[in-house]
Amino acid sequence: MTAVASESEATFAAQRQAELRRRALAPWILMLPALLIVVIFFGLPMLLMARMSFNLHIDQRLYVPGFTFEHYVNLFSNPLFTNAIWTTVQLSVLASLATVFIGYVFAMLVWLKPPRWRLLMIGLALCPLLISEIAIIFGWWMFFPKNGLLSFALLSSGLISDKISLMYTEFAAFIGLIYVTLPFCFFILLSIFDGLDKRLLEASADLGASPVTTFREVLLPLTWTGILVAFSQSFIWTIGTYATPSALGPDTLWTMGFLIQEQMLGKHNWPMASAFAAVLVIGVACVMAITRSMQSKRTAFHA
Amino acid sequence: MPEAAIRRSAEPFLFRTLAIAFTVFIVGYILVPILVTLVMSFNDAAMIRFPITVWSLRWYADFFGSAQWTDALRNSIVIAAGTAVISTSAGILCAWAFQRFPIPGRDALYVLIMLPLFMPGVVLGLGVAIAFGGLSIGGYSFYGSRAMVMLAHSLWAMPLVFMLMEATFRTVDNRIVEASYDLGGGPVRTFFEIVLPMVSTGIVSSLLFAFVISLNEFVMALFLTDRDTQTLPVLMWLSLRSAGTPRLAVASVILALTVFACLSLIMLWYIRQLRKVSQ
Repeated sequence: MTAVASESEATFAAQRQAELRRRALAPWILMLPALLIVVIFFGLPMLLMARMSFNLHIDQRLYVPGFTFEHYVNLFSNPLFTNAIWTTVQLSVLASLATVFIGYVFAMLVWLKPPRWRLLMIGLALCPLLISEIAIIFGWWMFFPKNGLLSFALLSSGLISDKISLMYTEFAAFIGLIYVTLPFCFFILLSIFDGLDKRLLEASADLGASPVTTFREVLLPLTWTGILVAFSQSFIWTIGTYATPSALGPDTLWTMGFLIQEQMLGKHNWPMASAFAAVLVIGVACVMAITRSMQSKRTAFHA
Repeated sequence: MPEAAIRRSAEPFLFRTLAIAFTVFIVGYILVPILVTLVMSFNDAAMIRFPITVWSLRWYADFFGSAQWTDALRNSIVIAAGTAVISTSAGILCAWAFQRFPIPGRDALYVLIMLPLFMPGVVLGLGVAIAFGGLSIGGYSFYGSRAMVMLAHSLWAMPLVFMLMEATFRTVDNRIVEASYDLGGGPVRTFFEIVLPMVSTGIVSSLLFAFVISLNEFVMALFLTDRDTQTLPVLMWLSLRSAGTPRLAVASVILALTVFACLSLIMLWYIRQLRKVSQ
């Protein structure tokens, strides 16, 4: 009798053990496909790329196994490359500032406007996100040149007397970059605005503050985190992109993305391309880390 | 005091004018490249030049008559469909694991899965090309194959699906899942017969968003495709570098139409689900 009881108890315990083990194993089985994709197609390539950046590049072969810091030294001493890094950072900072400004005003207007406009405006903001970057580039490519729409419109309205071309200028590259990053900024900032109580504005006005004061003292501090996130998002996006600036900007506008592509596909110098990519990744990671720390400092302050 | 009073009355007017001016600017800014492309695709001439004098569907006929361009479109659609399937199934399973189970190192895993989304396409393309450049399995060259591009595109699509589905799974009532277990439904059966139908809108959205991301992406595809597998955006990029013709405008319009067809599908599905709920 007792033997039977302890036996069934033992099977019960074993079943429980198996159940627990199954429960511990189940999430890993579920996560397996996603983790495989991330580890094999992201983790492994990143490690190999880091290794590749120390390989040698001898007489036009893709790479020769070896170990050298040559490419990193080259990267930070050759004026061609240092200029590219500097240009990219400058372009990204300026484009991101402009994007955040436009996105901020846009999001604020959508927030303040009556709800019937809201869906229309959100649909509008989705457009650049849903259209391929190449189609956007091509759209601006037809807008800016001498025979493009801008020149034609200005000429036929009598504002100018001769055809003008803004193609292959830094301004064109700028317009294209802002266009692509605008939706990200807009949606980040709109979600921040939607979390605010509109009565704050009335309260501030009732207490005698002018709209400018209300903006500076109430709205800006409340949306500061959103501005930071939007800025870093669009900075990360612009620093890595190469198609828009190289297609719309002047030939001398060499960004890091363009040089990576050039070294990889044009010059077949894989180690150099990898060194460049490694610097880019470190830059992106730094921006993300800085944003995170500033964000958490602010929340800690408010708490 | 009167000065202040004038300022008070002038201020709303000033802000209203500024708001209208900004709205006009932003609407124009966003619509200009879209409308230019749409208009140009109906141009008859071989040159990109304004004003357009003769209108025709010549370049549409040209696009669909050219094997190179229709092949590129087919490649794009096949790769996008593959990306949608791969990233949606992987992303859903992973999000369900995060929702149902206590996972050791949860935050670190979350960051690991989301990380590729923040990497520039040029870096991901380069990395994958270096890692799998010479790989061929049983005579099947992996590099340049469509499968390679699908997996590379999943690096961007999968984190998005994961994020979307994680939010969707949070709306699932846990009591229904427990009830299914109590009634004898195993975890697998519960997942497929109870949970998935409840989040069908999320799944359809995930599939289509992944599809759209892959369809539009061209930097990774540029690094990873060869002549036979190149996608439509890659072909557009390469021909833009040599010479722009209205054919490119047609290609842009077709790409955009495919995307908007996907969006309409999401909307239709959503409306259908709402109807079902209200009945």
